[in-house]
Amino acid sequence: MTEPTHDPAEELQAPDEPSEPRWRETLSALLKNRLAAAGMIVLALLILSAVFADLVAPYAYTDGDIVRRLEPPGRDHWFGTDELGRDVLSRVIFGARVSLQVGAVAVGISLMVGTLIGLISGYRGGWIDAVLMRTMDVLFSFPVVLLAIAIVAVLTPSLRNTMIAIGVVFTPIFARGVRGSVLSVREEVYVRASRSLGASDWRIISRHVLPNVAAPVIVQTSLSLAFAILTEAALSYLGIGVQPPRPAWGLMLLDAQGFIPTGAWWMSLFPGLAIFLTVMALNLVGDGLRDALDPKQRSIIQSRGVT
Amino acid sequence: MRWRYPFALLAVLALFATACDEGDPVDVDDPTTDDPVDDPVDDPVDDPVDDDEAAVGGTLVAAIGGDPDQLDPHTTTSSFAFTVLENVYDTLVQPGDDLTPEPALAESWEISDDLLTWTFTLRDGVTFHDGSPLTAADVVASFERIAEEGANAFRLGAIDAYDAPDDLTVVMELNRPAPNLLDQIGAFKGMAIAPAAAIEAGTLGDEPIGTGPFAFVSFTPGDNVVLEANPDYWDDGPFLDGIDFRVIPDESVKVTNLETGEVDWIDSVPPQQLDQLEADDQIVLGRVAGNDYWYMSLNNDREPFDDPNVRRAIAFALDIEIITEAAKFDAATPNETAIPETSFWYFDYAPFGQDLDEAQRLLDEAGVSDLTIDLMVTNEFPETVTSAQVIASQLAEVGIDVEIRTEDFSTWLADQGDGEFDAFALGWLGNIDPDDFYYAQHHSTGGFNFQGFADDEVDELLDGARVETDADARKELYAQAAARIVDLASYIYFYNPEILEAWSPEGTGYEARPDVAPRFATTRKG
Repeated sequence: MTEPTHDPAEELQAPDEPSEPRWRETLSALLKNRLAAAGMIVLALLILSAVFADLVAPYAYTDGDIVRRLEPPGRDHWFGTDELGRDVLSRVIFGARVSLQVGAVAVGISLMVGTLIGLISGYRGGWIDAVLMRTMDVLFSFPVVLLAIAIVAVLTPSLRNTMIAIGVVFTPIFARGVRGSVLSVREEVYVRASRSLGASDWRIISRHVLPNVAAPVIVQTSLSLAFAILTEAALSYLGIGVQPPRPAWGLMLLDAQGFIPTGAWWMSLFPGLAIFLTVMALNLVGDGLRDALDPKQRSIIQSRGVT
Repeated sequence: MRWRYPFALLAVLALFATACDEGDPVDVDDPTTDDPVDDPVDDPVDDPVDDDEAAVGGTLVAAIGGDPDQLDPHTTTSSFAFTVLENVYDTLVQPGDDLTPEPALAESWEISDDLLTWTFTLRDGVTFHDGSPLTAADVVASFERIAEEGANAFRLGAIDAYDAPDDLTVVMELNRPAPNLLDQIGAFKGMAIAPAAAIEAGTLGDEPIGTGPFAFVSFTPGDNVVLEANPDYWDDGPFLDGIDFRVIPDESVKVTNLETGEVDWIDSVPPQQLDQLEADDQIVLGRVAGNDYWYMSLNNDREPFDDPNVRRAIAFALDIEIITEAAKFDAATPNETAIPETSFWYFDYAPFGQDLDEAQRLLDEAGVSDLTIDLMVTNEFPETVTSAQVIASQLAEVGIDVEIRTEDFSTWLADQGDGEFDAFALGWLGNIDPDDFYYAQHHSTGGFNFQGFADDEVDELLDGARVETDADARKELYAQAAARIVDLASYIYFYNPEILEAWSPEGTGYEARPDVAPRFATTRKG
C-alpha cells in the first residue's frame, strides 16, 4: 500500500527471469555430466561432417565403379564398396546430412505446431481444449511408423514429404506435454497476479507461461530428434522415404539386406552403426538436459559433485 | 510359482502342434485317392507310363515370392498364380521343352487349305478333378469366357467362331490366317480349359477345377496354396502326394529355408548369391536362358521425348553392359533388342553401344539442355531400382538429371496407365511368339503401348507379320519391325535375364523352363 508503483508480479516470477546466468548454469551442468558431454561431442562431429560432407567424404555418393563392387573395407575404401561399387564411407557421411536434415526439419515442425496447440489448449481451456486435445489423441492413437507410412503414401514418397509426415506424427507429443505444463503454470500465483493487474493474454503467455514450459520442451526436442531419425530410417528402409541414389541410412540397410548372405557385412554394419551412434548421442544429451534443467535433480547432481 | 503353469501349457501345446504337423500329409490326402505310400500295389494303375524306379510320394514344399491375387486362370495376371495353376490346368496345346507347341488336351489338329478353319481332336478319356469327362463343350465354354473376361481376350482376336460338332472335336473359324494360333491358345495357363459347368456356376474363382496333374485343395491368402495328386492324370505322373506352395517374399530367406530343408524348391535365386550357391551341394541350381526382357521407355506424349532423336541420345548415353552387370551380376545377357539369342526369332542388331559424343551431338541438335527425367521404378522388382541408379549416373555425363521415383507396384501400374511419367523401367515375362514381344507394346493401337509410340511403318510390319505363314518371311518382317522400334527408341532394351530356380538334391525329374512355368508332374522326392 505504501509503495503503489511496485509490481508484485515481477517479484513473484523468480523462476523464469534467469536468461544469461541460467543458460550458462545449464551448460556447465550438462558438461559436467560425462555421458552427455560425450553425446554432444559425437553430435558435433556428425553435424560438422553432414554440413561439410562435400569436403569430408572421399568420393561423391553417386560415384560408382561396377568393376570394384562389393569390395571389403580396405585402403581405398575404408568402409568398403556397395553393390554398385560406391564408397560406403562417403555414403554414410552424406547419409548423415539426410538424417539430420529430416530430424531437424521434422522436429522443427512438430515443435512449433505442437507448442502452439499446447499453449492455446492449456491456456484457453474449455471447448477449444477439448477439440484440440481429442484431435491430438486421435493422431496419438496410431503407431508412429504406421501413421507416417500412411501420410507418405498419400503424399507420394520424397524427402520433403518424409519430413512433413514425421513432423505431423510427432506433433501430439509436444502438444500434450506443453498443455500439461501450461495447466499448472496457469494457476501459479505470479500468473494470477499478473492477470489481476490487467496484463494481456499475449503478455502473460510470452512473459510468464512460455519461459516456464521451455525446459520440458527442450528435453522433449532432443529426444524427439532421436526418434525422428529412427522413423526416417524405418521409412527409408521400407523404400518409401528418401529416393535413391540419395543415400539415407535406412535405404542403405535396405540395399544391404540382400547382400548379407554373400558376406558383405560392411554394407549393413556401417549405416547401422551410424544410426545407433546418432540416436544414442541424442538420447544421452536429452537425458543430460533433463537433469540439468530440472532444479531438483540438479541440486542432487551438484551436491554429489561436491562430495 | 503360479507363473509356471502357462509355460507348461505352452510346452504341451507346442508338442501337440508338432504332432499335428507330422500328421498333415495324411489329412491332406483325399481318402478316395490311393495313397502310393500306403498302397504301392496300386501304383501301376495310377501311373501306367513310368513308375519302375518307385521312389514315390511325399509332399513337395515349394516357396513362391508372393501371394497369388486369385486362382482364376482366365482373369489373373499374377505370375505367382500361374506358378500354382501350371500344375492344376491344361491347355489345348502347350509349349514343349524348346517352346514349340506340342499336343496337350488336343491330340491332333488339322488346318483347312484356306488357313481359316482349324479342327482340333481332343484326347479321349481325360477327366476333370471333379470326375466329369472333358468334352468339346468345355473347350468352347472356356474360350468364350476368356474372350469375355478381357485379360487375355486379345490372344483370341483372330478367331471368329467356335463349334463343337461332337464331344471330341472343336472347330475354330478364323477371320485371318494366324501362323501363331497354337502359341496364342496354348502359351500359358491363362488359356486354361475349365469345365463348362463350373464356368456357368461361376465357381471357378473360388475352386479351381482342371485336368492337370494336381488338384486344388485349399488357398490361405498370405500363407499357402495346397494341391494334391490327381490319380487320373492323362499324362506321365504325378509321383508326389501333393504340393504345398508357401509364400516367402524375401529372397535370402527363401534360400536359407532351402538350405535348412524347410522347403524343397524356390522360385527365384538372388543373382548375387549365384557363385556361392553353385558351389553348394545342398542345393541344385536350375539355370536356363529365359525369354524375358528388361527395358526402359520414354513418354512419347511429353516433350522433349516426342523427338526420336532425344530418345536416341539417351540410348547412346547408356552403357547397357554395365546396367546388366549391376542389376543381374552374371545372370543376364545384354541385348539391344527384345528377343534373346536362344530363340529362333533372334535378330542380331545393336546400333547404339555407349557413345557420349553422339549422345551430346543429338541433344545439342534437338536444342535440349537442362533436361530432367522423372524415372518411375518399383521395389517389387528391385532390379529396376538398381538399374535406375546406374542410368542416373550415366545420363549425368551428358548433363541429364534423372529423378528416380520408387513406388509400390499397384501405384506404379496406375501411374503407367495414366501416363504419369517421363520414363519407366520394367520387364516383360513369359514371351514366346515374336508377336508377344512387339505387337501390344509398339503397335499404335497396342494395349500395352503406354509410352504412346506411333509409327505407320512399324504398324504395317507388325500387322503383316501377324498373318505371314512362312516362318522365314515372318522372321524377316519382325527383324525389320524390331530394327525400326530400336532405332526410334520406343523401348531402350537392356538385357535378357536367365531363369534362376533352386531345389533340394532330393527332388528329381524337374527342370527349370525358359517360359518360367514350373511343371511338377514328373517330379519325385526322396
